[in-house]
Amino acid sequence: MNMNFSYSSNLQSSFIRPDGVDKVTGNLKFLTDLSFPNMLYGKILRSAYPHAKIISISTKKAEELPGVKAVITSKDVPGLNRFGLIFPDQPVLCDERVRYVGDAVAAVAAETEEIAEKALQLIEVEYEPLPVIDDPEKALLPSAPRLHPDGNILHQASYQKGDVEEAFRTCDCIVEETYELPRQMHAYMETEGGVIVPEKDGRITVYVGTQHGYKDRFQLARILAIPESKIRVVSSPMGGSFGGKDELNIQPYGALLAIKTGCPVKIHQSRRESVRSGLKRHPMKITMKTGANRSGKIVAHQVRIIADTGAYATLGPAVLDFAVEHATGPYIIPNVYVEGLSVYTNNGVAGEFRGFGGNQVTFALEGQMDRLAVELGMCPMELRKRNLRKADDLGPVGQEIAPTDGAAQVLKAISQSPLLSEREQSTNPWTKTGVGVAIAMHGGGLGFGRLDPAGGRLSLNKDGKIEIAFGFEEFGQGLLSVIERLVIKEIGCSANDVKITIGDTDHVPRSGSSTASRGTSMVWHALQRMKIPFTQRLLEKASQYTGVPVDRLYLGPIGIWCRHKSDSELLITYKQMADETKDDPIQIETEFHFPTTPHSIPGGHYLYSFAACAAKVEVDVLTGIVRVKHLEQAVAAGPVIYPTGYLGQIEGGSVMALGYTLLEEAVMEKGKYVTENFDSYLIPTINDIPLSMDITAIEELWEGDSYGPRGVGEIGTVAVAPAIAKAVYDAIGLWVTKLPLSREEIVKAVNRRELRKWLTTK
Amino acid sequence: MADNKIAEKSSSSLIKISLIVNEQPRELVVDATMRLVDILREELQLTGTKISCGIGRCGVCSVMMDGKLVNSCLVRAYQANGKEIITIEGLGENGLHPIQKVFLEEGAFQCGYCTPGMIMAVKAMFDQYTHPTEEQILEGLSGNLCRCTGYGGIIRAVQKLSQS
Repeated sequence: MNMNFSYSSNLQSSFIRPDGVDKVTGNLKFLTDLSFPNMLYGKILRSAYPHAKIISISTKKAEELPGVKAVITSKDVPGLNRFGLIFPDQPVLCDERVRYVGDAVAAVAAETEEIAEKALQLIEVEYEPLPVIDDPEKALLPSAPRLHPDGNILHQASYQKGDVEEAFRTCDCIVEETYELPRQMHAYMETEGGVIVPEKDGRITVYVGTQHGYKDRFQLARILAIPESKIRVVSSPMGGSFGGKDELNIQPYGALLAIKTGCPVKIHQSRRESVRSGLKRHPMKITMKTGANRSGKIVAHQVRIIADTGAYATLGPAVLDFAVEHATGPYIIPNVYVEGLSVYTNNGVAGEFRGFGGNQVTFALEGQMDRLAVELGMCPMELRKRNLRKADDLGPVGQEIAPTDGAAQVLKAISQSPLLSEREQSTNPWTKTGVGVAIAMHGGGLGFGRLDPAGGRLSLNKDGKIEIAFGFEEFGQGLLSVIERLVIKEIGCSANDVKITIGDTDHVPRSGSSTASRGTSMVWHALQRMKIPFTQRLLEKASQYTGVPVDRLYLGPIGIWCRHKSDSELLITYKQMADETKDDPIQIETEFHFPTTPHSIPGGHYLYSFAACAAKVEVDVLTGIVRVKHLEQAVAAGPVIYPTGYLGQIEGGSVMALGYTLLEEAVMEKGKYVTENFDSYLIPTINDIPLSMDITAIEELWEGDSYGPRGVGEIGTVAVAPAIAKAVYDAIGLWVTKLPLSREEIVKAVNRRELRKWLTTK
Repeated sequence: MADNKIAEKSSSSLIKISLIVNEQPRELVVDATMRLVDILREELQLTGTKISCGIGRCGVCSVMMDGKLVNSCLVRAYQANGKEIITIEGLGENGLHPIQKVFLEEGAFQCGYCTPGMIMAVKAMFDQYTHPTEEQILEGLSGNLCRCTGYGGIIRAVQKLSQS
C-alpha cells in the first residue's frame, strides 16, 4: 500500500483519551442528543432577503396552528435585542431591518419539529427589499447604502515602519499581486443545537455547545434581562467547532422560547439552516507589493487587505488586526506599510475561524516570497532564510515577544524533506508534478489590550479524586487529554485518580475562552501555579495524620507515598485523605492573564508558534485536477503534551487547509448562499487527501523560555495553502492568486500556452 | 435537495412497522415517511447514530440494514419495515469491538460526531474484505466525512486492523 501517515517519534503514544470509549461506542451524549420530559422543539425563521426593511410581521396564523406553544418576535426580547462578542450589533430578532439571509425574524416552539417548521411557513413577514451590497468594494462606494449607523467600515487597522515609498525606489526587484481568498465554512459535523431547560428554582440551564460558556452566560443575561447567576451554561461536549460556535447561535431563541413556554426547548439546526445562519471565514482581497535588492534582502513590503465581514461584527475587528499583524510573518523587513479594512456587506457573517485571518494573509505573503525568489533567480528557501527573524528580534508589529527561533527551526526541518531533493517526473505526459514549501508564524492568545484572563481550580474532592476544573470546552481538540496528561505529570498521580470538570458554568472557574490556541497553554500555566501549593498542603496534612515527615512524602498513584532508603510504600490513599480533610477540603484556585507583550500594540501577540509545510502535487493538465500526493509539516510549538492530539491537530488542520486550497467555497450570489449543503459545499473526503503525510513536532524552546507548551489548534492550517499553490507553479508554471484553486483556470492557462515549455518539449 | 424530516404531504399517514434493531425485535407505529435516523434517535433513544447533512452526503447517520451500509437519513419508515438494523450501540456489546479498539489507539477520531457512522462504514468494509486494499479502503470510507482528523488516524486504524 502507498498510504503512509508517519510522524516524528515524539508523537507516538498509547494514551487513551478520557472521552474515547464513550465516543467509539456512541454512548457519549452530545448536547443535541439530549431530551427532557415535556420538551418542545424550536425553529427559527430567517430572513427571506439579504437586505430589506421589515414592514410588518404577523404571527397570528402560526400561533393558531395546533401544537404550537409559542411564537416570538423582537417584541418578546426583554433585554438587549443584540448580541456580538466584541460589541453587540446583531439583532437577536430583527424588528426594522434585515441585513443578511441568516438574520432571525421570528422563532417558534411546538410539540414536534414538523409542527414548528409548518408554523414558520405561516408567519407572514412583509418586506421591502433594499439594494444588496454583495461586495466589500461596493460597500465602500460613497453611493452605497449604509448598513450600520456609522457606515460600512467595521474596522480599520494599520502598521507602519520606515518609508515604503522611498524604499521601493531602491529595490532591484518588485513583485505586486492581488490575492483573493474564499469564504470557508467550518463544517463541524454537529450543527448548532442543544436544549434550554427552565428549572424549578427559576433558573435556566442552557445545554448548548460554545467555546466560552461564561461569555454565553454574559450575553444571554443581557438579552434575557436576568442576572447571570440565573443562567447555567453547559457547553461540552461538542461535535466540532473550529471557531464557528464561539459566537452565540441558537441559544437566545431557545432561551426565550423556554422561558415563555416554561418547557425545555430543543433546537438543532439542519445543515441548511446552519449554512445560512452560521459564521464563515472572512473572504479577503489582499494586495501586496514587495521589493528586494539583488542579494535577496527584502526592503519594502506594502499590503492592503479588504475583508468582507458580512452583516455584523462578531470578532471581525480582531480577525483584521490579526491579519495586519501577520502580514510580514516571520520576516524582518525594514520598511512596511500594512492597511486593513473590514467592511460590512449583506453577505453571510464572517467571524472567528481556526487561523483567524492568518491563513489569508500568509497565503499572500508566502506567494510574494515565491514570486520574488523566481524573479531574483534564487532558491525560495534561501530567500526565506535571508529574511528570517532571529530569536530575539521584535515581533511583526514591532512589539517585544518571547524570544523564539521557531521560524528557523521549522525552515531547517522542512529543508531536510526528501521532497525537496527528489525530482520524480511523471510518466504520464498529461500530469505534471511539482513541489512547494511555505512557512507560517501564528500568535497565541487574544493579544495586547484584550481581556484574556485564565484560571483553574485544583482540589481533593470528597470522593478522593484529584479534581481539576477549567472553564474550557471539549470540542474534539483533545483538551481533556491535555488536562489529564498534565495533571499526571505535574502532580504524580495516575489517570484513575483524576477527575476533570469542564464546560459547566455552575462548576468551573473562569478560564477564558477555548480559542486562539490558548487552551493547552493556559492549562499548563495554571498547573504551574497550583501544583506546589496543592502538593504542599496535601503533604502537610498527610504528615499530620501519619506522623511521617513531609520531606519523605510524595504524591503518587492512588495516594501519598513514603520514601524509604531503598524503596517506597503507599502510606495513605487519596480517599482516606479526602475523609480526613472533609471539614477543611484542600482546594487551590488560580487566576492570571495570558502572557502579553509589554508594548501597547492592540492585538499584538507575545507567544508564537511556527510551521513549515512541503507539498507535492500532481496536476492533470487535461482536466485541471490538482491532487496533493504528499504533505509534510514541521511544527515548533514547544513541548508535546498529548501526542495523539497534537498529531491529529496538524493532520486534521492540514486536510482542512487542503480543502480551503482546492475545494471549499461558500458561494454567495447577490447575498444568497448557492452552496447550501454538503452536495455543493465540498469538504475533503478520504479520497481527496494526500495518502502520504509526515508530521514533525519540534519541542525545543528558546533557552530560558518559561512559557511552556503552545497550543497547536491553528498553526497546522496556515502554511498549507501557499505550499500547494507553489507546488502548482512548480508543476505547470501557473501562479495561483485565487482560492479555491480553479480547475478552469488551470485548463485555460494550459490552452493559452502560458505555461512552461513542457507542452512543446515533451 | 430536501433535508426535511417528513416528506411534504397533506395528512399524517401512520403505519405499523416491525424491525430488528441490534438483535431486538421492535414494533412501532410511526409516520410512513419518518426517517430511519429519527426512528433510531427519537423513538428508540439510540442517539449513537448522528445526523448532520440530512441528504446522504456525510455518512454520520450510517447504520447497517440487512447487512449493508446505509445512510439512515435516506431510509424512510416504510422502507425499514421488516429489516434488520445494526447501529453503533449494537457493536461490542461484550466489550469493545476490535474496530473500536483500534480507533482508540490510533487517534481515529477527535470530536467523535462522525465516529459512530465511520465505525459502521469500517465494519461494512471489513465484513466484505478481511484485508482491504488501498482502493477498497478509499472507496469503502468515501461516503463518511470527518472534519477533525484529516483521516490520517482513521487510515492508521484500518491498516492496523487489517494487519492483525
